[in-house]
Amino acid sequence: MPDRDRGGHFYSGLQHRPIAGCTTPSLSHNAGSSAAASAGIAQTEKSMFQFLFDVLIRSVDLALIAVALSAVYSLIKFPNVALVQYAVVGAFVAMSLHAAGLPLLVAGFASALFVGLLAVVFNILIFERLLKSDSAIALIGSLALSMILSAVFLLAYGPTAYRFKLQVSPAMRILGARITDHQVTTLVLTTVALGLFALILFRTSLGREMRATATNGVLAAATGIDTRRVTNIVVFLSGMLAALGGITLAMRGSVSIDLGTNMMLPVFAAAILGGLGNALGAVVGAIVIAAAETVITNTNIGPFIGEDFYFLPASYAPVASFAILVVFLLFRPRGLFTSEVNRV
Amino acid sequence: MFDFFIHVASIACLYGVLALSLNLQAGFTGLVNFGLIALFGCGTYGAALASGMGWHPLAGLPAGLAMAALLALFYARLGRKLSSDYWGIATLSIAEILRISITNEQALTGGAQGISGLPLLFADLKPYDGVPRLALYALVLVLAWFICQRIVKSAFGLAMKLMREEPQLARSLGYDLDAIRRTVMLISGAIAAFAGFLYAHYLTFVGPDQLMSPETFLIWSMVIIGGIGNNWGVVAGAIVMQFAMAYVPFVKDALDLPTDFVAAARLVIVGGGLLAFLLWRPKGLFPEKVGGSRGR
Repeated sequence: MPDRDRGGHFYSGLQHRPIAGCTTPSLSHNAGSSAAASAGIAQTEKSMFQFLFDVLIRSVDLALIAVALSAVYSLIKFPNVALVQYAVVGAFVAMSLHAAGLPLLVAGFASALFVGLLAVVFNILIFERLLKSDSAIALIGSLALSMILSAVFLLAYGPTAYRFKLQVSPAMRILGARITDHQVTTLVLTTVALGLFALILFRTSLGREMRATATNGVLAAATGIDTRRVTNIVVFLSGMLAALGGITLAMRGSVSIDLGTNMMLPVFAAAILGGLGNALGAVVGAIVIAAAETVITNTNIGPFIGEDFYFLPASYAPVASFAILVVFLLFRPRGLFTSEVNRV
Repeated sequence: MFDFFIHVASIACLYGVLALSLNLQAGFTGLVNFGLIALFGCGTYGAALASGMGWHPLAGLPAGLAMAALLALFYARLGRKLSSDYWGIATLSIAEILRISITNEQALTGGAQGISGLPLLFADLKPYDGVPRLALYALVLVLAWFICQRIVKSAFGLAMKLMREEPQLARSLGYDLDAIRRTVMLISGAIAAFAGFLYAHYLTFVGPDQLMSPETFLIWSMVIIGGIGNNWGVVAGAIVMQFAMAYVPFVKDALDLPTDFVAAARLVIVGGGLLAFLLWRPKGLFPEKVGGSRGR
């Protein structure tokens, strides 16, 4: 299952790596010959590029949803947990449309539009009202909405994992790293989507209005910007980005109802690291989190605990991101970069 | 059927204690704690530690309380710089880190299988052990309610409410907000850990699955639905929610629905209940009494 390796079930994919790392050195240990040792070195060099590529793919997983979270946060000042579930909605809808015979691109785009509209509807019906009382109340409300959405997924799709019916081509080998078509497609799609978002944000008058509203909503309203319309446009775009994130995740692996819950804290960690409200900082945050997750499960900590080879279980990968999140909240709550949001 | 009722009532009492603990934090002090279940877990794993080490079962209680105190102090320290929603995410992350670590540290905690074979409370009274246990839990609930009520009505309780409503004003009046947060976390952490200790000796099993984050959200729904900031209300909320959750499988059987219905219905009860009350009745079934005849 080559395309599953870096798919939605990221952590299950990781489990193969420590084993591979373990066997190679033990081989060279048994043989004790220089040939086997040099083979071991070649193996590490190979896995170096594979490692970088793994980090890149994992950060792409996180980046779209993290950017969406951050962008919405800059306007409506609360972290919307339900965004990770919007990603799952996007994946499921795209999958259903694709199964109904639409080409993948059309299905994906239609699904992203649908999720964007859904996000706007939820924002008007629920969050605008909850935000009148408190941002913490809105956060609890978004948690509640996530639970309802996962109940809907459970009834509609059941607990099994779903995959796109796509052709699986054998993985290419580039500089020793195994790279699949779908990974390249996701990489391109994500780059294009983030590039378009950045263009809107920095090169259009709409983007200027968005940034003005984020910096000072009252002042923006006073200069004639319809802040409610701007907010809902950003909510719409964030829904589209999240849906796209879910679709790309599903393309390389599978989608199941717990995908959203599993993504929640890593995505939050990436967004907070980049400085919530600083949309493009979230991309950097995603790279840092992805690197940390990959390092913690691929590093041989044996020498530190008096054993030759010891790898942390793959289930510790999320701990890396949560721990970074907590450390940042302790010492640098505004993230790596200063953002337009000054409240933490 | 009677036994089942006793069982649900017992669990409801323990959840009532947890809801009181959360109410002390979220309801009166404005501390949005999404990691409450980890404090509860300190109590359950304290009991498991005593069982694993072969100590007297009661020795698990101070062990659990000590762990809960440490965790509560850490939570409180985190809260110094963060506003409520950030603190909620931070506490949620810590609870998840602890749960994942417990699942993986097989040697220390029994891993995913957990630790079973803890002594059951009142086991020698079988088959009539359910009722005295329920009586004990009800007594604990009343005691916890009494303690919470005393705290809330005291001068310290006023400081808590002031911190919730106007933190800047509280600081300007000379209240030490960090100290208030620490004290509240220590007290409510101890209450939650005590509930965990009793829970462990009721189920006779302790495992990481009991510490999943949806458990915290279930307790949140009890507090919001019952009436945040009202000690009567959150206990009522705990009882209502616990019975609603427990009788979902009977509805499923009666209507001949698929198995997934149970999990989905529970999610809808918790999530939908939370959302509906937040939108249409944010003060809950029993709203907090502000002011009142005695001036407090």
